[in-house]
Parts: sequence; structure tokens; C-alpha cells
Amino acid sequence: MATHQEIKESLMCFLDNYQKNERLKIMNRDWNRVISILVRDNQSQFTMVLEKGVLEIKEGAAQNPDLTVEADSEVLADLFYGDITPTEPYINGTLKILGSEEDILRLDFISLLIWGE
Amino acid sequence: MKNVVSVSLGSAKRNHIVETELLGHKFRISRIGTDGDFERAIDILKSLDGQVDAIGLGGIDVYLVVGEKCYTVRDGLKLMDAVNKTPVVDGSGLKNTLEREVVLSLAKKGGFFKPGTKVLMVSALDRFGMAEAFEEIGCLVTFGDMIFIAGIPYAVRTVAELEELAAKLLPEMVKLPFHMLYPTGKKQETVDRERAVKFASFYNEAEVIAGDFHLIKRFLPEKLHGQVILTNTTTEEDVLCLENAGAGCLITTTPELHGRSFGTNVMEAVLVALMGKPVEMIRSQDYLDILKQLNFSPRIKYFSSEYVLQAT
Repeated sequence: MATHQEIKESLMCFLDNYQKNERLKIMNRDWNRVISILVRDNQSQFTMVLEKGVLEIKEGAAQNPDLTVEADSEVLADLFYGDITPTEPYINGTLKILGSEEDILRLDFISLLIWGE
Repeated sequence: MKNVVSVSLGSAKRNHIVETELLGHKFRISRIGTDGDFERAIDILKSLDGQVDAIGLGGIDVYLVVGEKCYTVRDGLKLMDAVNKTPVVDGSGLKNTLEREVVLSLAKKGGFFKPGTKVLMVSALDRFGMAEAFEEIGCLVTFGDMIFIAGIPYAVRTVAELEELAAKLLPEMVKLPFHMLYPTGKKQETVDRERAVKFASFYNEAEVIAGDFHLIKRFLPEKLHGQVILTNTTTEEDVLCLENAGAGCLITTTPELHGRSFGTNVMEAVLVALMGKPVEMIRSQDYLDILKQLNFSPRIKYFSSEYVLQAT
């Protein structure tokens, strides 16, 4: 099981890579979303806020999120460090994403554009 | 008589049967839509296996050929695997040959596409041959894959960037349920009005709108202004829809058979049935050779004498 601190560090790594990706910031200029991240096995909660292409990550629960990402700590840490892609865990159900299908697909694109290849 | 059937995840409303003669062989060509019902498509494919001369898979891609790489769509492969005896194709062979040739030939002989022509390809990862041909001519192309597949208003302008994005996205995207990436079933009958409005500027800026017809139709703005539409799989109703919207001209890469331009999967299945060769042994040149024998030419239908892109 990954600790709260490990997940936080993986999210910071994700954020760092997002910040370096100018193309992705341009792509997300029109997509303002609040994404809640729920860690099943250690009760940690984080919130991602995307606004006008700028991504922020905070500790704690989100109010009225547009998307909720839920998985065990190991899956989430692996995902945000880019050790795994979201597709397989999403398909096999170990990663649950609640939201519109369009938003889920777009979130998938973002992850792949950060970590792809 | 050779019997060719296309089994499609698309709408059953577009079902069609024609009988025709090609190179001295009589053909019965039919299309069965399953309204997005994946399991029904598998059942139909199993029932046709060994009973017909060739099968086309419609409403889905199996192979996405991007440059030197080929990505296999997981759902498409499941459909293909339901067939063991009859040759089965998805149209990717023709997209890489016929569609590339059509663009180059229309530019060379028809005067349609000149360097600097503004082209919107609604999606290019499924039609890489066409994408490369437009770039080779020197057209100013917007590849709309990010826009119309993912809803991300980011225009890709070069084949090189398209390939780079494909390498990052496709190895994973091909694992997703196909309906997340492409309108299947009833979605093919409706316009996504919200996105059509949001992305209308991409259509408005273009002189040529090219690519998959279901995508073109799904995001079609209420008004066009004389653009050339380069596509296939159009019914008489679709042709009327484009004319009413204000398209200037429709070019279909596959020939018209009894008022209908079938999808590339259907035409590829017809060619496979004609060649009588195992699919895995067919090369691009084989398709080009038989297309030459058939003297297939694209259908060009003008709606207005004042269409945006004047052929010279």
C-alpha cells in the first residue's frame, strides 16, 4: 500500500510534468474541471483543479467535482508516476472514473500525452 | 454469383443491397447494420463465416496504419476473430492505396487540390494515406483527430505531429471500447449540436472537408459555404443533407453503385473476392492493379456552380 505522502509525491510528479508540457496547457485552455481523487485503501483525498489550462493539486476533498477518480493507493501512485497507463486499470475495473464519457476520454488523453511512449 | 457482405456497427437504417457486374463476375453486395450492438455483430459474422465470398467490417477500424506503424483496435480484432473461413477486411488496405491515389489524381488531373488549399480532415489517423497525400500536394491541412474524437480544440497541422501524437495515444486508445472513440449505432443518425457549434470555425475556415462521413455529419454546422466534401459511405439522403447545408461539391472516393457510395470495407471485400487470394498475401500494389483494371474513378457531384474551390 502506498502512503498518503507517496501519493502526494506522485501527484506532484504528475503536476510537474504537466507544467512542462506547453502543448497540453494549450489543449486544456477550454476545459475547466474539478477532479476528485479518492484513495480507497488509506482514505486520502486530493483535488485537481484545471482552469484555463492551469493545473493545481490540493489535499482534501472536492466540492461538487466534475470527475471522480477512485482506486487503491498503489494503482494511483503508479498511475501518477507514469508507471502504468490508465486504460488497462480502467477497463479491468481497478480504476474507477465517474463522470461523463467525454470527460473520461479527455482525462485519458491528458495522462497519455504526459506519459505516452 | 459472388456474395459480399458488410457487417457494420452502424445504423441499420443504412442497410442496402445491390447487384452488379465487375470484370465479368456478378456480385451481390449487401450491408447489415447492427445499431452498435457488438454481440449481434459477432453472431452475424459467425453465421456468415464460410457462407459468403468476402466480409467487410463496417463502423469500426481494425488496423490503423500510421506511417510505418500499425495499431490494432481491440474491439475490431474481436469482430475479425469471429470469422475463420471467409476472408474478412476492414477497409484499411484501400484507405492506404485508393484514397491516397484519389487525392493525388484529383490534384493532378482534376485541378481540385492545389498547394495552399485549406483542408480539414475530420480524422486522419484512420486515413493516413489521404493525410500524406494532402501534405505532399502542399495543402494547408488541419487534422481534426484531437478536436472531433477527444473534444480538444487543438488543430494538428503536420503529418509529423500527427505521427508523434499517434505514437503516444494509439497504443492505449486502441484498447478502449470503440464507441468511446467513434460514433456507432444511433449516434450516427444525430448531430452533436453542442460540439458542432463549438467547432464550427474549423469547418468554416476550410475549403475542403475530408474524411469519415459519419464524423463529418456528426459535427456538421447548419450552414456550409460551398466547400468540397471528400468522403464515402454516403446514401442519397446524405447527399441531400450536404446539398441543403450548402456544400459546393461532393467527391466520393469509392464509386457509386446504384445511388450509393459504399464504405472502403465493402469495396475492399469486393476486391478480395475478385482476386481470390488470401488476404494476408495481398499487397498495396495488388489493390492498385485491380483498381486500374476496374477503372474505378471517384464520383464527383456538383451542388453549386459557385463552389468554393474551383476546379481548373
